[in-house]
Amino acid sequence: MSSSQVGSPSVGAEAPASKAAQTPEARPVVVQTIDLAKRYKHGRIAVAALDGVSITIAKGEIIGIVGPSGSGKTTLLNLIGGLDRPSNGRVIVDGVDLGTLDEGKLADYRLKKIGFIFQFYNLMSTLTAIENVELPMGFANVPKAERGERAEELLKTVGLELRMDHMPDELSGGEQQRVAVARALSNSPSVILGDEPTGDLDSKSAKALMDLIWALRREKKVTFVLVTHDPIVVARCDRVYSIRDGKVLREIIPKTENAKRLSEEESLMMDTLY
Amino acid sequence: MSSSMGMAFRSLKRRRLRTAFTVSGIVVGVALILVLLSLTSGTSTRANALINTLSPAQITVVNSTGRTSGAVPAGGNPVFIGRGGGVFGGAGGLAGGGAAATFAALFEGSDTMDQSVVSAIGNLTGVAVASPTLSSTGYVNGNAAFLTGINPATYKEATGGLNIVNGTDLANSTTGSQLVVGQILATNRGLSVGSVVTVGANSTGGSQFTVVGIYSTGNAFGERFAYLPLTTAQTITDKQGKVSEVYVKATDPSQVAQVSGEITASIPGVSAIAPSTFTGPATALAGTLTTFFTIIGLAALLAGGFGVVNTMMMSISERTREIGALKAIGAGKGQIMKIFMSEAFLIGVIGGVAGVVVGVSISLALPYFTGAATSSNVSGVGAGVGGLFRAALSPTVTPGIVLLSFGLGVVVGVLSGIYPAWRASRMDPVEALRHV
Repeated sequence: MSSSQVGSPSVGAEAPASKAAQTPEARPVVVQTIDLAKRYKHGRIAVAALDGVSITIAKGEIIGIVGPSGSGKTTLLNLIGGLDRPSNGRVIVDGVDLGTLDEGKLADYRLKKIGFIFQFYNLMSTLTAIENVELPMGFANVPKAERGERAEELLKTVGLELRMDHMPDELSGGEQQRVAVARALSNSPSVILGDEPTGDLDSKSAKALMDLIWALRREKKVTFVLVTHDPIVVARCDRVYSIRDGKVLREIIPKTENAKRLSEEESLMMDTLY
Repeated sequence: MSSSMGMAFRSLKRRRLRTAFTVSGIVVGVALILVLLSLTSGTSTRANALINTLSPAQITVVNSTGRTSGAVPAGGNPVFIGRGGGVFGGAGGLAGGGAAATFAALFEGSDTMDQSVVSAIGNLTGVAVASPTLSSTGYVNGNAAFLTGINPATYKEATGGLNIVNGTDLANSTTGSQLVVGQILATNRGLSVGSVVTVGANSTGGSQFTVVGIYSTGNAFGERFAYLPLTTAQTITDKQGKVSEVYVKATDPSQVAQVSGEITASIPGVSAIAPSTFTGPATALAGTLTTFFTIIGLAALLAGGFGVVNTMMMSISERTREIGALKAIGAGKGQIMKIFMSEAFLIGVIGGVAGVVVGVSISLALPYFTGAATSSNVSGVGAGVGGLFRAALSPTVTPGIVLLSFGLGVVVGVLSGIYPAWRASRMDPVEALRHV
C-alpha cells in the first residue's frame, strides 16, 4: 500500500522547520494511524471517505492536511480526535488504541488527550472568554481555584489577558480563535486538532495564529494537526499530507525540493508561498 | 460541573421572551393547582368545622315524637341535624337573612325528653358515655341568647369539650352559677371573664351568674351560646328533669352506626343520629371534587410541560453545533444531560415561584369577589349560617399546598427536560459539528 510508505516521523524531523527540535530518535510518536478506512452509506451506495490511510506524527510536529473538499481530510481529523469510529484500521494515540475505548472512555480521551479548534471557533456564546477556557477543566473535575488560575495563565499565553471577561461576541474572529486555542490547551492535551482554523480569519489574524501555534510548539512541545486550505498555514507546517479520494496522495515538506514535484492544484497553492 | 446552573441561567436570560412564554405555561398550571387545592382544603376545613359545631358528638339523641320527628332523621339537611333535633328542623334555618326569628321559634319549641333516657342509653352495650344537654332560649342581661345546660364532666368526654380561649371551663358540677360564653356573644354583649350577668327565661328577672370562661369555635354561629350547668339550666327554664339532646360516645368508633341504631330501636320515643353516616357521602363527594379539580390542574401542568419540551427541543436544535463542540472538547453524555437538565430545572423553579405568587394572590383575592370575606362580620344567626356557605368558597392557603404546587412545577420542568436533554446527549458529534 503506497500510502503506508509515506510519512515517518524522521521525515518530519529533517524538515527545516524542525531544526530546533530534538534528534529524530528521541522524538516519541504521538499519533499513528494504521490502514485507516471509513465508509459511509448513502442509501445503497457505500462511499469510502477514507481508504487505507497510515500516517505517523511525532511529538511537537505541526502537520498540515490538505486536499479538495470531500477528500476525507476532516474524516481523518475526526477519527484521530475520537469523534468518529473507523470502519477499518486503527488509531493509536500516546500508545492507546482508540478502538479499545468505550464511549465514556472516548469522551475522556477527547477531554484529556485532544484539543479541538474549529473554523467558526465554537465558543459557548453564553460564557466569557475565561469561562470558556475553564469549561473543559470543569468537565475534568479540576478544582475551581486551579481552573481559574490556569485559564488566566493560558489566556495570557495567547495574548488575551485584557479580554478575559469579554463574551465571545465582543471579541474579533482572531481573538475568539485564540480563546479557542487556550480552551484546547486547558487540559494539557497531547495533540491539538484544527479543522480549517484560519478559514474564517483575515490574513493578519491567520499569521498571528500561526505565530502562536509555533510559539506553543516551541515552548510547550504541543503537537498540531491542521486541516487547511490556507497557504499561510501550509507554509508553516513541518509536513503536509495531501489527501485525495480518501488516500494519502503525497507527503509534502514545504520549502524543499520535495515541494516542487506537486500536482497542479498543489502547485497553485504552493506558488503563493514563494 | 458547578457552572452548569450558571450556564443554564444565562442561556435562559439570553432568550428572555421565549423563556417568559415557556415559564408562563408552568405558572398557569401551578397557580391553578394552588387555587384549587386551597379551595377544596378551605371547603372541607369549613365543612368539618360546621359539622363539629352543630353536632359535636359521634351520636346525638333527640326526641322522636311531635314536630321534630319528621324533620330530624329524614327531612331537613343532614349537615344541620344535631344540636337539638328541632333546631334546624325547618328550612327556615337555612335560608339566611331574616331567619333569626324562625330559628328562635324552632329553638323555643323543641321537644324535650325525660332525663331518665340518659341512664337508659348509658346502660346500653357499646356506649362509653351519654351526656345530657338542655338547649333553650333565654336572656342574658335582658338580651335574647341561646342557653345550653350541660354536665361539664360527661360533656367533655362525649364531645371533646369547649375550646376555652379565655378563663376556665365550667367546674365539674351540674349546679352552680357559672357561665361560659362564646366569643361573638361576649363581644356583642360586652362580656369578659369575671363579668356578673343576669340569666333568665324571660327578659326580666333571673339569677346572677359569673362568666368564668370564653370559648371559640371558629365560626360565627357556634359562638353565640352560653353554657351553664345542666341542673341550673333546668331550674331557670322551668324544665326540671328534662333534656333536649343526649350526646353519646361509642366505646368503639367503628361501631357508631350500630350503637346509633340500637339506641333508636331499644329506647322508645327517641331518635339517634350519627352525623358521620351523613358526612360519609359528603366527604366522598368532596373527595371526588378534589380529584376532579386536581385532574384539571394536572392537565394544565401537563400542557405547560409540553411547552417546556417544545422550547427545549427548539433550543437544542439551535445549539446543535454548540453541543457538537461540547462533545468534541470532551463533555460526556452525563455532562451534556446536566447542562440541559439544569435549564429545565430552572424553568420549573421560576415557573413554580411565579405560579405560587400568582396562585396565592388569586386565593387571597377570591373571597372579596364571592363576598365570603365579610361572612365573619355579619350579625344575626341566619346570616351567620348563610355566611358559613359563602365561607366555604374562601380558599385556605397552607404551607403544604404552597410547597406541593411549587414542587409540582419543578417536577414538571425536570420531567419535561429529560427527553430533550437525552436527545442532546446522544447527538453524533460529527453530525452536530457539520450542522449550520
